[in-house]
This record gives sequence, C-alpha cells and structure tokens, in this order.
Amino acid sequence: MSISFPHVGTFTYVMESICYEMGRKDVVVPNKPSYKTKQLGSRHSPEWMCTPFKMLLGSFIEVVERGAFELVGTLFIDYCRLGYYVPLYELILEDLGYDFEFLYLNFNQPLGFIKEMKRRTTGLTYWKTFRAFQIGWIKNRFIDLVDKYLYHYQAIEYNKGSAQAVADKAYRIIVETKGMSNIRKLRKLVTKMFEEVDIDKKADPLKVAIVGELYAVVEPEINLDIMRLLNNLGVISYTPITFCRWIDIGSRANPFVRPTFKTAIKKAKPYVGYRLGGKTQESLGYAIMFKEQGWDGVVHLYPFTCMPEIITRSIIPQVSKEHDIPILSLVLDEHTGEAGLKTRLEAFIDLLDRKKNDTMKIGNKI
Amino acid sequence: MKRVGLPRALIYFKFADMWKTFFKELGAEIIISPLTTKKIKSVSARIAPNEDCYSTKLFFGHTMAIKDQVDYLFIPRFGSENKDCVGCPKFIGLAEVLRSMFPDLPPIIMPHYNMAKGRDGKLSFFIKAYRVGLYFTKNPFRIIKAFKLALREHKQYKKELIIDEESLLKWEQSTLSLNDPPVLEENERMLKLALVGHSYVINDPFASLNIRKILQNQGVDLITSEQMPRNLIEQQIDKLNFRLYFDYEKEILGTIMHFIESKTIDGIIHIMVFSCGPDSIAGEMATQFSKRDPEMPLLQLVFDELTAEAGLRTRIEAFIDMLRRSTKEESIYIATKVHV
Repeated sequence: MSISFPHVGTFTYVMESICYEMGRKDVVVPNKPSYKTKQLGSRHSPEWMCTPFKMLLGSFIEVVERGAFELVGTLFIDYCRLGYYVPLYELILEDLGYDFEFLYLNFNQPLGFIKEMKRRTTGLTYWKTFRAFQIGWIKNRFIDLVDKYLYHYQAIEYNKGSAQAVADKAYRIIVETKGMSNIRKLRKLVTKMFEEVDIDKKADPLKVAIVGELYAVVEPEINLDIMRLLNNLGVISYTPITFCRWIDIGSRANPFVRPTFKTAIKKAKPYVGYRLGGKTQESLGYAIMFKEQGWDGVVHLYPFTCMPEIITRSIIPQVSKEHDIPILSLVLDEHTGEAGLKTRLEAFIDLLDRKKNDTMKIGNKI
Repeated sequence: MKRVGLPRALIYFKFADMWKTFFKELGAEIIISPLTTKKIKSVSARIAPNEDCYSTKLFFGHTMAIKDQVDYLFIPRFGSENKDCVGCPKFIGLAEVLRSMFPDLPPIIMPHYNMAKGRDGKLSFFIKAYRVGLYFTKNPFRIIKAFKLALREHKQYKKELIIDEESLLKWEQSTLSLNDPPVLEENERMLKLALVGHSYVINDPFASLNIRKILQNQGVDLITSEQMPRNLIEQQIDKLNFRLYFDYEKEILGTIMHFIESKTIDGIIHIMVFSCGPDSIAGEMATQFSKRDPEMPLLQLVFDELTAEAGLRTRIEAFIDMLRRSTKEESIYIATKVHV
C-alpha cells in the first residue's frame, strides 16, 4: 500500500524525506507536472476553482494511476479554500472510480495530526514520529538554502547549467542524509558545493524579489519557471515565501530568532490591518522590506480567482507609489502562455535597468 | 446631524435591521444606496477589479452612488460570527481596498470583528460598537441604549426569518404558500422549490435578474436557504467528513443536502456567482451528492455581469416544464450546471 503526495516545487523533496524517516520504503514519488497534468486536473475540476486545486488534482490522479494508495492530505480552517481541498478530492477521485485513502492531517488539531502520522509509519513510537516531522522542517531550511544559491548563481555563472547541476546533486544529498549529526553538517556542505560554480564576481546584476500566493511562487509549472527566466535575463531572483514559514516550528519556538514574516506583517499593517488569509499581509510587507534593503523590483504572482490575492493586487498600486517600488502583478492559470509572460518580464526588466542606470523617473507600475 | 452611508450590498442583507436601528438611535441620518440599477452595474463593471466576484463589484457601484451624500461610510470589516467558521475574506478586505483605490471617498468607519479562531467575543463586540457610537454622540447612555435596541431588533429579525421544523413540515405537505403567493393557471398545481444561494443575490432583484418574480409567475412557491431551520443544516453538515468552514456557504450546502435526502419538495434551484470562491466548493459538492442520489432534480445556474434575462427565462421554463410533466417513478438525473 504505497504512500504518495502531490508535487509542490522543491517541497516535494522534504515530503520524500519525511516519508523515508517514517520508515516507509514504498513511496511513489510524483513526477514533475507537465502539460498533461494541467489538462487532467482541469477536466475534472469545477470551472472557477483556483488553479492550484486543478494542478494538485492532476498530480494526484497521476500518482494514483502509478499505484499509490495512501495520499497525504492536509486540512485546516482558514480564509483560503486550501484547507478544504481534500474532501473535494475524495468526492472527485471516488467518482472517477479510483481506490485510495486520504491521510487526514489536521493542522488545527496537533495531537490528531501526530496520531494519524504515527498510524502510517512502520510501527514507530510517538517520539520517533515527531522526530520524522522535525527532520522534515530542518531539511526544509537547507532545501531553501539550495534554492537561494541556485537562483543567485544561475544569473551570473559563466558556464550555463553548472549551477543547476550542483543544485540537483545537493537536493539528492539532502534527501538521502540520515542521522542528526550528518544533517547538521549540511549547511557547510551545501555552501562548499556552490563555491565550485564559476561566477562573475564583478557583475552588479538587478535584484528582483518574488512574492504572492504560495503555490504560484513555488511550483515552476504554473509560473513557467519564472525564477529561471529572470536568471536567463541576468537578474537575481529570490523568494521569501516558502513552506518554511508554515512548518518550521523550531524557528518559531526559538525566542532569539525573529522570523522575517512577522516583520513583514508589521510593515503591512497600515494597508491591511488584520489577517484575511493567504499571504496578503506578507506580500505587501515583503515588498516594502526588500525595497528598504536595496532590491530593485518586485514581481507579484497569484492564481486566477485567488480570493485573498485579489485584495493584495488592488492595494499594490498604492504601496508602489508611496514607497517608490516597481511592482509587476501577474495572474496565472492553466492557460498562461510562455510568450506573453516573457514579453512582459523583458519589458519590466528593461524599465528597471533604465531606472537604475539612467536614474530616470519612469512610471513604476505595469 | 451627521449623515452615515450604508451601501446596499454583501453583508448589508444580513445585518440591515441591526445597523439601521443602531444609527437611528444615535441620532444620525441614514442614507442607504438605492436598489441596484443598470447605472450602478455599469459603474461597477468599469471601476472594480476584474477578477472580483459579481457581488463585490456591485458593492463598488453602490458605494459610488452615495459617496457625495454622506459624511461617513460604514463598511465594517466582518470576519465571522462563529468560533469555527469564517465568512469570505472579501468582507474583511473591502474597506481597505476602497480606501486604497479611491482616496477621495468620505472617511470610512471600519470596525473589525472576527469571532473565528477565538479572537473577539461579546465584550469586544460591545467595545467596538461603543467606539463607532462615539463618532455620532458623546452620551454613553445613548450609545448603550442604541446597542441594546439594535441587538434586540436583530434577534427579532432572525426569529421572523427562520422557520422552525414544524412549519417546514406543514408547508411541505400542504398547499399554503410560504413566501410571495404564486400565480396559478387553471388545474395547475403549485410547485414547491428551494431557491438556494447567497442572501445578497437572492434578495437583490437586479442581481438575481428578478428570478423570484419569474418563478412566482410560473406557479412556484419558494423556500430560500436563509429560512431553513438551523438545526437541520447543522445535522447535514455534521455528516461530512470534515465540516465546511465557510459560514454562509453552510446554509447553502446544508439546504441542498437536506432536500436531496428528504425528497419532500419538487426541486432545487442553486444560484452561483461566477468567481465566488466558496460557491465553487459548494457547487461541486452539490453536483457530486446529486449524482450519487439523483432523484431530486437540481438546477445549477451561474450568474455574472453579462447574464441576460432571456437565457435565464428559457432555462427556468424548461426546468419547470420537466417538473410538471415528470411522475415520481422515473427519476431523471437533471443536475445541470448552466452558465447563463
């Protein structure tokens, strides 16, 4: 009875690690989503459901066809529809005639969460189950570190493809490392691996931050690998919006470390006073924070009909004007075409370039 | 006398009596935007963000209709009135979006109230209402009296709106009409349908394209999802593996699930708004439940700002025709979702 999960960008490696730590060897690792995945998901989803639902459904259908039986599913009460995906998936997959069982991991009930996880391990104790989850969030920090180096070095490397090769090796090493003492050495190891990449140390590239809805930022298939597109134009890209913010309980419990998202929320308070779901406050706050740290521009990504992000998008013009930050808002869905996206990005980067080098005041929201 | 403006859209339809009583007792002049007209709709389509749901766009139009006649606008940031349910995030964000997109609007009074996730309770509700009252009068006794009367009015409104189980049973089995009395031709029997949808669509004649009038003229008596007894809805929602946490969507899904199971009326009409988040979830679940138990006819209609009356009328007349001709032995699977 194999266990499986959908593909969500590089967080897939973290989920794979957690499954191995739980003692399971029969893991069906989802393949990278393709055009076929998008089609499969859209065909069986309600018409104006948000695109992450459709693509995750496509991913689930693919792993179920490959033989998975137990599927990881999370539930929680929030303003966003994400907490209610799993019951809908159950109805749709049942209707299509598949045989499966969803894990009900409820974030609002931590004890039930651990109990359900323990049931699916190969007879581990409660402490070991919690440890598996802990190793997951620690490895998540290193996966994020690899991503940060990758999208930095890829913009200024001499040999095209060298940074990606190092990153792929680093991902596999992180997934396969066992034992806490080895895991703690991973940070130094990853940094050393990336020092082998030949980069142009004298370059002064533009720096663009990516904010927006979690799935749209993290999964390359929906945003057409926008971080790589930016790198190909010679621009460093970075996103502070990753799964770390949600599952890294260790950092949050640490009184000496102030997580960045709390600073971001504080900065966004004059615009959106109270939490209303998704990453609304974080996106606005991060845009302001990155401007203060000297970054050149911000790209805001969100799926079509995402309820909280429509509110962010409506407030972005005011933030852009008051803090003098160029912000590009892009709406994504399963029909987004690469050519149109590339054109808009190139125009945006052109304007940023001129703004930086000629210090000309051009209109700063597209 | 200070003038306060209430746009007639979204949660106004849930709390109208409470707010009107409160501001009247404080001595303010209340200006409510008119019922939706074509002009309001065209203003909305022009200025509102494209991806918003139709009802939110109308909110923009209603605000613009009254902005020059008032000193303050009252647009509360309403999160939820239950511990484990939430309303729509648009309700919370709308005031701030308006303030950001149109800086020349009159000052907006926007108290934030959210009972979900254990944040606000009865005491903070009173304190926030008190702060709103201070905009209009400095007399504390007047504010407290206004608050008490407003709550009482709201309770009375809910009591008159929601029917209890006994009355529901009586209505299902008799020929008495519940809402507007239908127009019947000779030898035609009165059909009983449930009209299910958001309160700000069903009660707004323009946004719902006068569907209530159309049904009335076809000899149909209605029960709306707002009127259903609460305990029946909670019973149905408890049957789900995981309770639906959108407050106003529970009414809708609970009503549909109840009638699919009890089969005591002739059919269900489900009105959905294009691009409404919770509606996409409830719509899909209703379709799936109807597929598994197809005896109760279910018609799902999707509305947006381009919907025309002619298309709607055709669909409804076809549905009513099918209902009048069908006999109970043939169970026809007619859960049709139609984008009107």
